Amino acid sequence: MNVIAIMIILPLIALLAEIALSKRYSLTIVSISTFIMLAIVSYLLVVGFIHGSILVAQSYAYIIAPSISISLYLNIASLMLLLMASVVLFVASISGNIGAERAKLSSALMLLFQLAATGIFTSGTLIQFFIFWDIGVITAFVMINTLGTASSKKASMTFLIYEIFASAMLLFAILLIYFGTPLHTFNIQAIISGSNSMPVSAQGLIFFFMALAFMVNMPLFPFHSWLPGAYAEASTQGSMALAGILSKFGAFGLLLTFEMLPIASHYSIYVAGLAIVSSIYASIVMLSQTDIKRIIAYAAMVEMGIIALGISAFNVFGTYGALYGMLAQGLTIAFMFLIAGAIVFEFGERDMRLLKGVIANAKASAYSLVVGVLALSGLPLTSGFIADLLIFIGAYKSFSIYGLVPLFAIILMVAYMYYLLNKSVLSSRDRNWNVAYLGVSQKIGYGIFIAFIFVFGILPFVLLNMVH
Amino acid sequence: MLALLAIVPLAIAALLSPILKSRYDAVRYLSLAASIVSLILIAVLGTAPAGTQSITWFSIGGYAFHITTQTYALNMLLLYIIAIITPLIIAYSIGFMGVPSEQARYYFELDIFAAAMMLFAMSGNFIAMLIGWEMLGITSYLLIGFWHRRDAPPNAARKAITIVFIGDMMMLAAMVIIWVSYGTFNFSLLLRAQSSAALYIAMLLVMFAAFTKSAQFPFHEWLPDAMEGPTPVSAFLHSSTMVKAGVFIIAALLPLYMELHMGTLLVIFGIVTAIIGVLNALAESDIKRILAYSTIEDMGLMFVALGFGSLIAAMLLFVVQAFYKALLFMNAGTIMRANDESRSIHALYGSSSYKPLFIVMLIGVLSIAGIFPISGFFGKLGVEISATSIYAYAVLLAIDMLSSIYIFKWLLLPMRHQSSVYDQNATAWNYKLTPKSMMVPQYLLAGIVIAAGIAYIYIPSMLGSYSSAQMHFSVVGASAETVAVVLGAFIALYIFKLHPYASKLKEKHRYVFLSAYNSVASNAVYYYIGKAFLILSKAFEAFDYALLGFASAGGRSFVMFGNLVRKVENGQTNIYAIAFVLGIMLLLIMVLFK
Repeated sequence: MNVIAIMIILPLIALLAEIALSKRYSLTIVSISTFIMLAIVSYLLVVGFIHGSILVAQSYAYIIAPSISISLYLNIASLMLLLMASVVLFVASISGNIGAERAKLSSALMLLFQLAATGIFTSGTLIQFFIFWDIGVITAFVMINTLGTASSKKASMTFLIYEIFASAMLLFAILLIYFGTPLHTFNIQAIISGSNSMPVSAQGLIFFFMALAFMVNMPLFPFHSWLPGAYAEASTQGSMALAGILSKFGAFGLLLTFEMLPIASHYSIYVAGLAIVSSIYASIVMLSQTDIKRIIAYAAMVEMGIIALGISAFNVFGTYGALYGMLAQGLTIAFMFLIAGAIVFEFGERDMRLLKGVIANAKASAYSLVVGVLALSGLPLTSGFIADLLIFIGAYKSFSIYGLVPLFAIILMVAYMYYLLNKSVLSSRDRNWNVAYLGVSQKIGYGIFIAFIFVFGILPFVLLNMVH
Repeated sequence: MLALLAIVPLAIAALLSPILKSRYDAVRYLSLAASIVSLILIAVLGTAPAGTQSITWFSIGGYAFHITTQTYALNMLLLYIIAIITPLIIAYSIGFMGVPSEQARYYFELDIFAAAMMLFAMSGNFIAMLIGWEMLGITSYLLIGFWHRRDAPPNAARKAITIVFIGDMMMLAAMVIIWVSYGTFNFSLLLRAQSSAALYIAMLLVMFAAFTKSAQFPFHEWLPDAMEGPTPVSAFLHSSTMVKAGVFIIAALLPLYMELHMGTLLVIFGIVTAIIGVLNALAESDIKRILAYSTIEDMGLMFVALGFGSLIAAMLLFVVQAFYKALLFMNAGTIMRANDESRSIHALYGSSSYKPLFIVMLIGVLSIAGIFPISGFFGKLGVEISATSIYAYAVLLAIDMLSSIYIFKWLLLPMRHQSSVYDQNATAWNYKLTPKSMMVPQYLLAGIVIAAGIAYIYIPSMLGSYSSAQMHFSVVGASAETVAVVLGAFIALYIFKLHPYASKLKEKHRYVFLSAYNSVASNAVYYYIGKAFLILSKAFEAFDYALLGFASAGGRSFVMFGNLVRKVENGQTNIYAIAFVLGIMLLLIMVLFK
């Protein structure tokens, strides 16, 4: 049987076990489930690295009449995203639930999210893409609404409204592809190979709706209003999953849109423009944030803008740079949210102006935050550098000097991140905190993230040599 | 990758430091041993034939990205300097860093710092260069902010990294432009490339990136603040690492700058920076910040020489400056240590009471001032005579004279003694307590500073493949330089030795002081730029809320519409009946009058 099918069935079995067994086992179950996913993805990575390429395609008939089949498809792009998702999910499972609150619910949600992530990144048809998209959105909604902070209700509703709007647009676009073009298929590979037979007018419409849906999800300016609230008010696991993985649904979708629709290359300049504006905008708004989680949320948006720029550049550097960027950004931002969650747990404070001298009482979190900032700044030997280099090469190729404008956003973002470090981590204490001590599992989580950030920064050839 | 072997010992030592955290003695001697092994490896590397080596880091869609190292004369020159200075700095640190608990972190950062600079020095393409380049920035951030519990160091570190990071991004942009335009990152291939508009932009970006690293106007203000770091770090940062990176990258790409006629830009920025540096150094009274402004000035002079196309003159100053600046910082650290870590030059006393220290200080000062035959003389004179215009020469001569004033001030003021005999004895005793590990590197460096004069003979032949132009020191030039320096020394002697109220000069000549000490103005400019961004950010944030409000208003409009429609469906039969009748009438009218 296909390994991908195992990966998709795995969280379902784990979910059943989760429901059947008592609360005591919930953390174990989710950890095992996500670890198996990580192991399978690593196995695929090794196989791919040895063969120099990777492509797994598997199809199962599902509904005959409108000819819907279940099709699993995995290439290097999906592998990169799965790799990121599996690391983030694994760490979020073992160390994301810092206060061990509502263990059963949070574990179950993580498993659902695992299902969504595995499904969407391996989906061979748009129907699967849509179904797993919605599973992810609803799971994230519950993560914000039920597990989030006290003020998360409003943020979760905003999130839900935006995301459901996005998925409605997505569904509309999918139906347009099926009924509005001579292809009459949901299969993504079939659409890509037959894309030239699509009428231009239909393509334009499809592109519009798809791009809209994905830009809301990523998010890009001006569809980002849900972002600060949702990222900041979600539980730590929720923030990690949302910023690390859910935002990649949109980016992955945008990538597919560019592959599926030949007309996309005409409109890419608009997407790029929006991406550049988005990253600059987010970096400037970020400068007046004081809540650590909101700062990280806007940092995530800056990076997503840069990733969108890479996607819209639509050449080999831009595309794979964007994918590497998703890998790097997913790890880094999830890492930062884990640290932020840990700091909130340790100090009970999220405002960087009040949070002083973290390094004195919480060394692990403080050092990790420094590493996180370094990774975010795209320091060479961290994964972010490879991503930045490739994305900007791609962007410069397609949009000449305008493609380099987001470097300015990176400067602002990183400058503010160092300000954050000064304010919260390094400055001396002026009051006595009752510091809660972090468990070992969080420190292991830090370690795993740091290890992967450096591994993909030092050994990029493991993944990129598979690109032909 | 033979060349990369040289940085392996330091990298291993760095990685072992956190593991050996509790055994701080092991950590520091391990670092020292690693740096000595690196020195030996680099010496061996120097005997191997020069060349480039490259490995493919990764390839994507048929395009390969390499990490290339090269060991040509210019690279070896910088490598030798780093390799010689690193063990001395680490030895000095052993005496200097008293607190055991922070040792592991210190040596971890210091070792990576040295390794990064070595990687930078041997880089043969932009990727290897950028790895070293950014690692330098990050480790300097960590080292400047090493004493993070104090107030000033974190802010100084942030200032440094913010400015340096701007340079990093410029460098990345330049790399991208070069890759897309020429399909290579390799320096030696790039040097043969056809010039184009894209290359001009890229080289401009590289130049400004170099300015951020080498603390050139308008990015110079981070360097004096970086004095908040431990003194060995300052000695390292100002002599062979970090600030030298900017000069070196321009030197390595100098033919391109000459081809694109960008020399004048380098000269202008260099001279402006040198003037700023020398004026600030004159007005400054912090023992370490004087040296920092002096570094800014020296770097400016190197850029001037490069701008005039004289690689040899620039490299001559490059070499000698490394040694005298390292020595002077070590002297400063020793004096501060004996005076309870005060840093104001007016509160430091008794340096003449400890003869070994005073002699090495004198050697350093004579070198930086430029007195024949100590090495600094050749460096300063080389830059002066590289000037192709008489005005530039005059300015350079004036700068040298002024720098002679402040450096003799730096020497003379700490020589004084306190008024009470008890204090004098206490200070003299403090000097005698200076650890051996702090003094030995200074003796060695003093020896090197004297001997480095031979660079005048060796560098032109060593760099013969880069530049055919030879350097000719004329007696007239040398005499003019010496006269200027001696004049400066006498002025300093008159003001600071014979004038009893040296520390009052600041108040007495306030306007002179303020016009010289323009560091305040530069900082104000930085401050207002930051402020402008914050104001912009506030406006954007308001807009961000408005955007959410706009979306909410959209949602609310649906609710309002619902409320409006709901009024119709109120369950009152008579109103339904009226509406029904009205509707029928409307329909009838429409049908009848069609």
